[in-house]
Amino acid sequence: MKTASAVISFAANLEGDMAKLYEDLARRYPEGREIFLSFSKGNGQNRALLERAYYEAITDAIEACFSFEEGLDPGAYALDAKPTGAMGFADALRFAIEAEGRAKGFYEEAARLSRGLMADIPRAFEIIARKRGDRIAKLKALAEGLGPA
Amino acid sequence: MILEEPIKEVITIKNYIDGEWVASEGELMDVVNPATQEVIAKVPISTKEEVEAAIDAARRAFPIWRSTPPLSRVRCLFRMKEIMEDRFEELSRIQTMEHGKTIDESRGETRRGIENVEVATGIPSLMMGYNLEDVASGVDEYLIRQPLGVFGIVGPFNFPFMVPLWFAPYAVATGNCVVIKPSSEDPISQMKIAEIAEEAGIPPGVWNVVNGGRAVVSGMLDHPDVAGICFVGSTPVGRDIYRRCGETGKRVIAQCGAKNFILVMPDADLDRTIAACMTSFFGNAGQRCLAGANLVPVGEGLSEREYEAFHGKVVRAMAESAARIAVGYGLDDSVQMGPLRDKGKKERVAGYIGKGVEEGAKLVLDGRDVRLIGDWPHDAFLNPTVFEGVSPDMAIGREEIFGPVACIMRARSFDEAMEMIHGNPFGNSASIFTSSGKWAREFQYGVRCGNVGINVGLPAPMAFFPFSGMKDSFFGTLHAQGSEAIRFFTESKVVIQRWF
Repeated sequence: MKTASAVISFAANLEGDMAKLYEDLARRYPEGREIFLSFSKGNGQNRALLERAYYEAITDAIEACFSFEEGLDPGAYALDAKPTGAMGFADALRFAIEAEGRAKGFYEEAARLSRGLMADIPRAFEIIARKRGDRIAKLKALAEGLGPA
Repeated sequence: MILEEPIKEVITIKNYIDGEWVASEGELMDVVNPATQEVIAKVPISTKEEVEAAIDAARRAFPIWRSTPPLSRVRCLFRMKEIMEDRFEELSRIQTMEHGKTIDESRGETRRGIENVEVATGIPSLMMGYNLEDVASGVDEYLIRQPLGVFGIVGPFNFPFMVPLWFAPYAVATGNCVVIKPSSEDPISQMKIAEIAEEAGIPPGVWNVVNGGRAVVSGMLDHPDVAGICFVGSTPVGRDIYRRCGETGKRVIAQCGAKNFILVMPDADLDRTIAACMTSFFGNAGQRCLAGANLVPVGEGLSEREYEAFHGKVVRAMAESAARIAVGYGLDDSVQMGPLRDKGKKERVAGYIGKGVEEGAKLVLDGRDVRLIGDWPHDAFLNPTVFEGVSPDMAIGREEIFGPVACIMRARSFDEAMEMIHGNPFGNSASIFTSSGKWAREFQYGVRCGNVGINVGLPAPMAFFPFSGMKDSFFGTLHAQGSEAIRFFTESKVVIQRWF
């Protein structure tokens, strides 16, 4: 992915996929229902934040087509696996932590590469990367509360 | 991912005159998607009588529109903005289909167009005059700004959505009426904007669109009821419009051709500079009046050997980055550069590349070797081209190519680079890349160009600043956009009063 359009589309899809993941987890694990639903809602907010930043700041004067020149590999960040039916709650939390870690890496890299764009866009990526860090901390705390697996 | 095309069947474009969609009696021409070569619309080449009908409608609408309170007038613009936001993606994709630019570029154009509507909604404040009490004993004096009547707007092919919006929102908000002639090469965006104006409640006759060519422009220029003309296009046509407007006493803004220089000082951040140059030289496939044309690594303070190393580094970085640019259909959002607007324009640019080789410039990257993302007809496509060893007297270094061609020149000193810029007849824009405040300040102070970039390769003024231009790049006094546009569309009337 080298263009702003491709990166924003990828991010929007990633947020959509993760929202669905958390809805699924909320259905299957009542003990984590509240946190999973709040994350799912947060994914929608992230998507709105990104799209607003992009559509309101996009301009032909700044390097929209060239700012991600180093390229972002979608394969490295896509949510391609799903939790299996047999997974226990602790494994589901580990799965979510891993997915959030990958998403955090994507947003950090996107923020770094887009520093040449209008400031709203890298700022939006940074905000979401920080939120991802907060989520990972919450999920880890929940996992630790379960005791050793 | 290739985004869905919003145009599903061939559109037959009509004129929008006096609030009605009217079929033209003129011949219909094909509007072709330059990437796919599919016909997407039929546009009429309207007659002189048809443009006269539009001017007459505008003239008749003017008295009521000018007496409509400014607040009511701009409420129509607020509604236009809202509708444009709702249809943002559709409007952007249409630009890609009719012009060829990438979807990122089209969205950027839509945003900049909307920004002009937004600025014009400030007219109740921006149009205010001023006053002074007691200029003599018991005598007050004040200035009021009044609209002039009917304005003609002639749009270019390279920004089919945005450029008419540099003018029309300000004209209409200040109480004038407009007749817009879009480029016949990509007229769909202006048809959509007229639909939006209609939906937003702009009264019949205030906003008119007449499609066509020279007959329409001549009809505007010759008509005594047209108070002024706004034009964006080539220098020969702009110069002619300026002359004819002078003869008939019309106001004129004519923003014209360009040959823009970019200086790279030895202390520049080269990575950021080259990234900015990709947008500047190759964005919009080089078809814009602010596009970089001549890149000049400047050897100020360097020995001969150091300069050769610096120059070589810039040439290699430009060529390597340009070679990596993904070229294809602009609705594929992995694409970084789209096609030229049409086959004829491609041939013209390819002709310049051939001429550059004949003149002795070194072809570092040949864009005539077309490599695309996706299986599209090559008719209008070129890849980026990079020349080095270009001198200011070569045709490729002197004339506007209007395509994705970068010409790299040599200047051993800052002064020599400035002489190169000033030796060129155009004065649209120029940029410098440097970490030195001193060089940036010297450049800003001395360069005779309207739009200046400091570590910005494409110094496109925002809607609240004028889009400037000097020398052969501009004919007129006041420029497009912002407060200068408001001055252009209004007459200053000064009143002195006393009461007995």
